[in-house]
Amino acid sequence: MKHPQSIAALVAAAFLQTAAIAETVDITVENIEVQSGTLHIGLYDAETYDGGNAVNGAQVTVVGNTVSVSLQDITPGEYGVKIFHDEDNDGEMDTNPFGLPTEAYAFSNNAKGRFGPAKWEDAKFVVSEAGTAQIISLN
Amino acid sequence: MHLDRRQFIGSGLSAGLTSAFAYPAAASGDAEMPKWHAGYRTAPSEGFDQKAMQLVQGRPPAELSGTLYRNGPAQFHYGNAHASHWFDGDGMIQRIHIEDGQAIHTGKFVQTTKRMAEQDAGAFLADGFGTRGDASYPVQSSDDVNAANTSVIMAGGELLALWEAGSPWRLDPETLESLGPKVWRNDLESMPYLAHPKVEPDGRIWNLGVSRTKIAIYLSGADGNLIEFGLTDMGVPAYLHDWAMTDRHLVILVQPWIRTRFIPPFVNSLEWRPDDGLKILIVDKDDFSNTRWAQAPARAFFHTGAAWEEADGTIKLDVAFYDEPILGKGGGSSEIAGTWTAVERPPYQSKFSLLVIPPSGDARIIETQLDGDFPQIDPRYHGSKRRLSALVTGVTDRHPGNTTLSLHDWETGMTDAFDFGDNRIVEEFLFVPKPGGSDERDSWLVGPVLNISTQTREIHVFDSAKVSDGPVCTWMADYTWPLGFHGTWS
Repeated sequence: MKHPQSIAALVAAAFLQTAAIAETVDITVENIEVQSGTLHIGLYDAETYDGGNAVNGAQVTVVGNTVSVSLQDITPGEYGVKIFHDEDNDGEMDTNPFGLPTEAYAFSNNAKGRFGPAKWEDAKFVVSEAGTAQIISLN
Repeated sequence: MHLDRRQFIGSGLSAGLTSAFAYPAAASGDAEMPKWHAGYRTAPSEGFDQKAMQLVQGRPPAELSGTLYRNGPAQFHYGNAHASHWFDGDGMIQRIHIEDGQAIHTGKFVQTTKRMAEQDAGAFLADGFGTRGDASYPVQSSDDVNAANTSVIMAGGELLALWEAGSPWRLDPETLESLGPKVWRNDLESMPYLAHPKVEPDGRIWNLGVSRTKIAIYLSGADGNLIEFGLTDMGVPAYLHDWAMTDRHLVILVQPWIRTRFIPPFVNSLEWRPDDGLKILIVDKDDFSNTRWAQAPARAFFHTGAAWEEADGTIKLDVAFYDEPILGKGGGSSEIAGTWTAVERPPYQSKFSLLVIPPSGDARIIETQLDGDFPQIDPRYHGSKRRLSALVTGVTDRHPGNTTLSLHDWETGMTDAFDFGDNRIVEEFLFVPKPGGSDERDSWLVGPVLNISTQTREIHVFDSAKVSDGPVCTWMADYTWPLGFHGTWS
């Protein structure tokens, strides 16, 4: 009899824990100049920000000059967001022949890079138990 | 004749100056600066309003009608900080419209992203050719550090202010209002475009852009529309400021001034490696993949005149060669600071030379006795065989820059020159063809001079057939503007 109770307790505890970490990151992207294509929004942690895979993210069809998206189930911690606008929907970030992006991009905190992506130190923000919001200007 | 005319000009202008105008001394705060520093003084941020220049000498040719546009750095100081290289001041366009015997001057800064940010901050922010910026200044592309300060060209009814590591900056040719970066094609946004495009006699415009070893090749119409784009590679990340073109080939001089590191500012990354020699990449204009190489002794250079081909395929071009690079680290900074003295002049002057590249084998360098730079040619003959090159020559211990306009004839080996004396700094002169003529000497040479003794500006017109006779006419502005680099006539 003791065993099922334990399982129930564990399940309940697991639910509580899940509820505690299921935070939301609300991202609003403004100033979208080219109103077509898809926004690729990636959420990264410290380990994945410089070249790894996003830990969460979304692809949103662009309609109008502002897009909002909520990323769910985010464990509290430090994150950075990278966004690029796939204006021609070819699935790639287009560059000029010398490798500079020709499609718009942006980073959390509206951080800017110097001849490259914004640094983690500039783009990182804290997701707390109350969730967080980022308003990012694409241009 | 030569001296008489010079004396005449000197006295004529002086008389005009003292009787007709009250001259502001060098702008406020510059009283202790040497007079030549007027060429390196920050221009008013609002620019120069349209103002008629005064005809002070000669009779303007009735048929001379058009506009001289020039570009050059004009923001050298923010507070006590000054640019540490001449190439880094924000570009300002000087527009001199000549018509019905009158010359009207206007000047305006190019409102680049860099300039607007630095004007807001009141400080230098962007890393430049030789000036260190602020590490917190965001740079998403080279256009965020684009000074748009080196030359100008007309394309598609727009005036393009040219730098070399970023896009041309579009301007209204009448008002000089800035219209933003030029995008030749959507996939070519933020691509570098050198400040030395080459214009075919039919109006088509060729140019290069450089990133490390890669070279972009642009061909556009006079309407500003891109006709063709391609890529080639020079193998080493050499510094490339100018190049040359025949009717059939692009001629790319790969000087052994190599980018060996990637640290700002740019010039600190360059290393002179004379053992590598001067390599020459020749690209077929009809097929960019069809290339050949030639080799010459090591030389440094900024500027070519133009190239042509002899019947046997030998390519010839005029180049202002130097034994070693000039205007490297800190180039022009003592001029900007006003501390320059003649001892700072490099021990070697330019040797204006003809580079002869045979169809096979090593190239030869034939040196003239001319210590000049800023070579220009008759635009009707660009790419084809010609005789004449105009350039500025001669130096004095009294000020930086050059003193003399020279016209060199490659066929006779003779140079026809006019020495403006020690009190004037001579800038690039452009060939302006006379209507109806076809010979190279059926042209005028039009260019600006800074009169340092009177703190005024002059526009001089010479007849190419008799340069040593002195200017056909001279207009004067009773104020100065900074020395520039290159211009165009439209």
